[in-house]
Amino acid sequence: MLILTRKSGETIRIGNKIKITILDVKGKQIRLGIDAPIDVAIHREEVYQMIKQQNILAAGYDDSIGKSLSHVWNRLKNPKEEVK
Amino acid sequence: MKISTTRFGDINIDESKVIHMKEGMLGFEHLERYALFIQGEKIPFWWLQSVEDGSIAFVVINSLAVKPDYEPIISDAEVKSLEIESPEDAVLLSVVTIRSDPFKVTANLRAPIVVNSKKMLAKQVVLVDSDYSVRYPVTEDSVFPEGKENPETLPSVLAL
Repeated sequence: MLILTRKSGETIRIGNKIKITILDVKGKQIRLGIDAPIDVAIHREEVYQMIKQQNILAAGYDDSIGKSLSHVWNRLKNPKEEVK
Repeated sequence: MKISTTRFGDINIDESKVIHMKEGMLGFEHLERYALFIQGEKIPFWWLQSVEDGSIAFVVINSLAVKPDYEPIISDAEVKSLEIESPEDAVLLSVVTIRSDPFKVTANLRAPIVVNSKKMLAKQVVLVDSDYSVRYPVTEDSVFPEGKENPETLPSVLAL
């Protein structure tokens, strides 16, 4: 990992089109300003990780609840009934 | 083409029914080809089956079935990359997580799969600065969506 030290107000550039500026440093929090082309998606890492984990959890469903999705659907429609 | 799946056995899929998932699903970036499997017209859940890995499939639901007023903001860049020309071309799917004990079903509204049903192009889009939940509860009130959002606008494969 490349490590750079920057002060408040200073900027780094990634390629020709992406610019990240340190706007403010307060205690443990840093505010970043990001200039990037519209087609570059910018997200907080934890959101990405959360969605990745949810996808992995969802893909792990192995029909153990029932043989088919109709079983899941019936159980949702009749929450109080024990569907066998 | 014929594919072998762990859940449905060997299934024949017409190339026209293969959805190209741009950049794959998060966590499954190496898989970019999927087909939508339907198990019955009255069931709002479908399978998004990987064509490349028979063991990988996601349960999905039309996002509007879970939340009829769902209005995610999809950036112009994403719309352009999926070659969507009008809103009617787009179908929104949410990945469903089914837990057995205790029984609980949730849908991911934070990262919808946007499908261009005409071009068979799709992408799981992480919404920017959105309050939509990754684990939105799917309850007995969830209804089968009527009209243009109906799943029949998406080419699918019947798998029982």
